[in-house]
Amino acid sequence: MNSRHEYKPPLPRRLFSVWYRHMRVYTKNLVANGLPPFLEPLIFLVAIGLGLGRYITEMKGVPYLPFLATGILVTTAMFTASFECTYGTFIRLEYDKAYDGMLSAPITVRDLFLGEILWAGTKGFFFSLAVLSIVSAFGILSIATSAFAPFVGFATGVMFSSLALFVTSFIRDLNQFNFYFTGFISPMFFFSGVVFSLDTLPKPMQWVAEVFPLTHSVRIVRSICFGESGRVQLFDAAYIVGVTFLCAFFAIRRLRARLVS
Amino acid sequence: MGRTEETVIEASHIHKSYGRVRAVRDMSFDLKRAVCLGFLGPNGAGKTTMMNLVYGKAVRDDRPESTLKVFGKDPAGHELEIKYLSGVVPQENNLDVELNVRQNLLIYSKFYGIPKSEANARIDSLLEFMELSDKTGAKIRELSGGMKRRLIIVRALLNDPRLLILDEPTTGLDPQVRHLIWDKIRQLKNGGTTILLTTHYMEEAFQIADRIIIMNQGVKMIEGNPKELLQSQMERYVLEVKNPERFERIDRLVTGGVRKDSSAGVVLLYSDDPNALKLLAGRLGPGDYHTRETNLEDLFLKLTGRDLHE
Repeated sequence: MNSRHEYKPPLPRRLFSVWYRHMRVYTKNLVANGLPPFLEPLIFLVAIGLGLGRYITEMKGVPYLPFLATGILVTTAMFTASFECTYGTFIRLEYDKAYDGMLSAPITVRDLFLGEILWAGTKGFFFSLAVLSIVSAFGILSIATSAFAPFVGFATGVMFSSLALFVTSFIRDLNQFNFYFTGFISPMFFFSGVVFSLDTLPKPMQWVAEVFPLTHSVRIVRSICFGESGRVQLFDAAYIVGVTFLCAFFAIRRLRARLVS
Repeated sequence: MGRTEETVIEASHIHKSYGRVRAVRDMSFDLKRAVCLGFLGPNGAGKTTMMNLVYGKAVRDDRPESTLKVFGKDPAGHELEIKYLSGVVPQENNLDVELNVRQNLLIYSKFYGIPKSEANARIDSLLEFMELSDKTGAKIRELSGGMKRRLIIVRALLNDPRLLILDEPTTGLDPQVRHLIWDKIRQLKNGGTTILLTTHYMEEAFQIADRIIIMNQGVKMIEGNPKELLQSQMERYVLEVKNPERFERIDRLVTGGVRKDSSAGVVLLYSDDPNALKLLAGRLGPGDYHTRETNLEDLFLKLTGRDLHE
């Protein structure tokens, strides 16, 4: 009949409009949402720097504070993406019914969650950048060598949001997320080489650590900040890409079944 | 074919099951441009499921063979094209409470790729149309139920839809707001918008629908123009006996021209002849009965039964 009949908004616009929605809702409370990413590393570094840092001065030949700071660059991305796509997603899905409203617009369920993953990646980037700005202001890391670290924050955010969406697709009650956080995210924080080097662990535990996605983010971000590179980082990158694709694929498939009957 | 004869929705033999629950069974209908079609039925009749099938929020059963075309396209593979041309008012309000009225609408306009200045102009005119102009900067929490509902309608109208899907647009609203919304829906229809509506208010169907489909347990019971259906399917008058014990006095007097319906503890006597009912009423006490013209609700109850659908 006419061209309007055949029209569908192109994919980049569909993804961008979902991303834009999340960005606007997030930035609505700029002080409440934007300040903690800067405060958190500050508190952490003061506590470690003045406390624990006096006892541990070096880790694997690197001064301890920079060692720890590089880890925090990606754990902050992990936490923000994980919260966004567990509690945040579940509330949008079950309580606010925000997705039902969005799906009345010309987007598909896949667009909806890909846009959301991109948004979580953006938050990961921003949180990493916040940590970087604090630790470089204190002279702990050099901004020149660490400038690419927030991109690892982005990748970490993308990976953990995909994983979180996959977990969320099984969740029926908000409290069930406790298992994910205390059973998976918290141990990962301690056993992914963030606070101490993994070589001190017994071999079997080192293998377990290799399964943890965060281990790979940590290794990449350290190689960037400390200017090392090797084959292992290629494996890390492949692992991150693989986990992201797999989780995102199954998460979207399972969440579609919950949104489209 | 003239423009007014343009078919917007064509559905034949649609089935939709959820496990063992058969939500929609063998539904067929078509909807022409600038017509308002209302789906009526008790809760769980399958009305919302039918709406969801139209814009791809639900997917119909593969078998038996069925056809569903919206703007000539199957929602199963063309949800984007269909949603681009449609506006949806879902049953539940789902506005972003963190944002104000204009921000909610601006975010939504992004989905359609409407440039910001154009979107702002469109938002202003639509808010004026739905009489919400003074609420442009208001927080969602500050809005009453009727305002939220009107705002959702504004949101559905942002891209100037050809098809407007309204799932219980006025449930729970006060009479003033309902009349306002009905008036606006009529204006949209007169402007050429096709309207698909679900409701369980008979009054609503009578006010705005050109055609209605009464559904019960997933099945279409009857279809037609509400006034014509009422004339052809129902007697003109009804005598409601409010005190069923008293009815025993007149039970044996009920004759050929009077139909008796005594389910669920109420006795209703239907007839085209007002005198026949007057005669019966004369045997009852003054507070025991009420005589009135039949309405769509009587037809609805006749078709769907008086039992609770819970």
